[in-house]
Amino acid sequence: MSEPWLEINAPGVDAEQLVAELRAAVERKTAEGVYADARIARAERMNLARLRDSDEFLNFYLQCLREATCVDIADFPIRERRRWLGRPLVALKQLIWNLLKFYTYRLWSQQNQVNGLLVTAVEGLDQKYAAKLRELERRVQALEAAAGAPPPAARPPAPPGPAGEGA
Amino acid sequence: MSRADRLVFIAPRFSETGTIGGAETLLKSLAEHAAAAGRTVTFLTTCAQDHFSWANALPPGRRRCGGLDVHFFPVDDDRDVAAFLRIQAQMDRGVALTPRDEETWIQNSVNSRALCEHLRAHGGDYDRILAGPYLFGVTYNASRVWPAKTLLVPCLHDEPFAYLGILRGMFDRVAGCLFNSEPERDLARRLYGYPAGKSAVVGMGLEPFTADPAAFARRRGLTRPYVMYSGRRETLKGTPLLCDYLHAFRARTGRDVKLVLTGSGPVEAPPALLDHILDLGFVSEQDKHEAMAGAAAFVHPSVNESFGIVLLEAWLAGTPGLVHAGSAVLRWQCRRSNGGLWFRHYPDFEEALLRLLDDPALRRALGASGRRYVQTAYAWPAVEQRLFAALESRA
Repeated sequence: MSEPWLEINAPGVDAEQLVAELRAAVERKTAEGVYADARIARAERMNLARLRDSDEFLNFYLQCLREATCVDIADFPIRERRRWLGRPLVALKQLIWNLLKFYTYRLWSQQNQVNGLLVTAVEGLDQKYAAKLRELERRVQALEAAAGAPPPAARPPAPPGPAGEGA
Repeated sequence: MSRADRLVFIAPRFSETGTIGGAETLLKSLAEHAAAAGRTVTFLTTCAQDHFSWANALPPGRRRCGGLDVHFFPVDDDRDVAAFLRIQAQMDRGVALTPRDEETWIQNSVNSRALCEHLRAHGGDYDRILAGPYLFGVTYNASRVWPAKTLLVPCLHDEPFAYLGILRGMFDRVAGCLFNSEPERDLARRLYGYPAGKSAVVGMGLEPFTADPAAFARRRGLTRPYVMYSGRRETLKGTPLLCDYLHAFRARTGRDVKLVLTGSGPVEAPPALLDHILDLGFVSEQDKHEAMAGAAAFVHPSVNESFGIVLLEAWLAGTPGLVHAGSAVLRWQCRRSNGGLWFRHYPDFEEALLRLLDDPALRRALGASGRRYVQTAYAWPAVEQRLFAALESRA
């Protein structure tokens, strides 16, 4: 009951091709470390659930996380958007901050240590399981070769899993 | 094959003046065009306007709205909101529900016994009943009254509600479905094994318009490039993600790119970005179209779409789209139209936006391609043809 949909192709524009070019550029820049940036790690907080199936992205994200692991404990400018009583409010906030910052520095520096340890642990786990998987793949290949099974490329394709949203 | 002359449309909300949600707009537009094409069209809806409170804001009764005969029925006031929210929270956490919990959830969603009574009494007068969207009690209960002549307009998303057994039962029960896009139909096939032969892809038509790309910036004194999003601002629509991405983009690239928003809801953005967001709230269609026409890109960060009306509007304004690849529907629209690009994560977003900002010719070509696509695939005559073919063949 469905009718064929049309394809509108503007001369010289191929969105699929453009996206492929952009992705190739992203891949290259990722390898160069261009995106190992704490700001990206923070920007991806709402998107992580959708990226969990991407192996490449996990590696990239761990790099970002390494950059983001330290909570910024430096002083920051205190601003007030309200015009009325703006200056006294800023002065009050600065006073409160000056009184409290010693204690927050102590807390956050401990938090930074914990964050660093956690990222190291996650990286360690990732490397450990990646190495285990490589070893298992090597063993499966060796066993298949010994049993005379065809190499993976020659096998018929496996039935697709549930359709994912990943691009 | 008999002509389906007498149609009744059912939606939980109906706006007599402006717009009120994408699905409701779609159903109303289809109803209006069916009426204009000479069909006898009745619209059944509730008195509610707000999709959080479902309070009866409009007076009940029958009114003429344009070419439509609209019946407003009160929402049941005995819904157990606490039970509804408790079960919804379980769903959000991924807890499997019992059939009894599912039934409790749907029966305490928005419902109108008066509407169903009317349908029970007068359903025999109609050739087809079109009801949607899929996840509301009104649609669910209405679909049980005359299932053999009911066609769902589900506006289906890949979200926890879609996995409920009772909703699967509703899809099995009805005579057919009118989907908005092929990926939506594919989702129904994946979730419910829904047969393609019982469905049609119809969508919604859009009226072409022209908008001066410089008018909005001139009026607002905007001298920097901007990207735009229109619609509800909420996590499910991806607006916090867009704000986070644009904040990172500005910081990393040093480009002074603004964000223009129209629509409703609070803006959740990093404080440093707030000064670079122009939040217009609800604006006239003309203002919205002019803002779209002047944007470097229309960014659609939502992964929960069955059609993408605002993306199509942006294309009509000649503006390229930049959409989240996690939305199979938006990606499909961009692919078919060659009117937009899609991103999986921030690096893709940065690379695509830089390209669009630096290449005005590419922006124009993508926008023109998108505009041509909407004018062809979603011109009303084409949509009406698909709608009436589906109605006549009982979908």
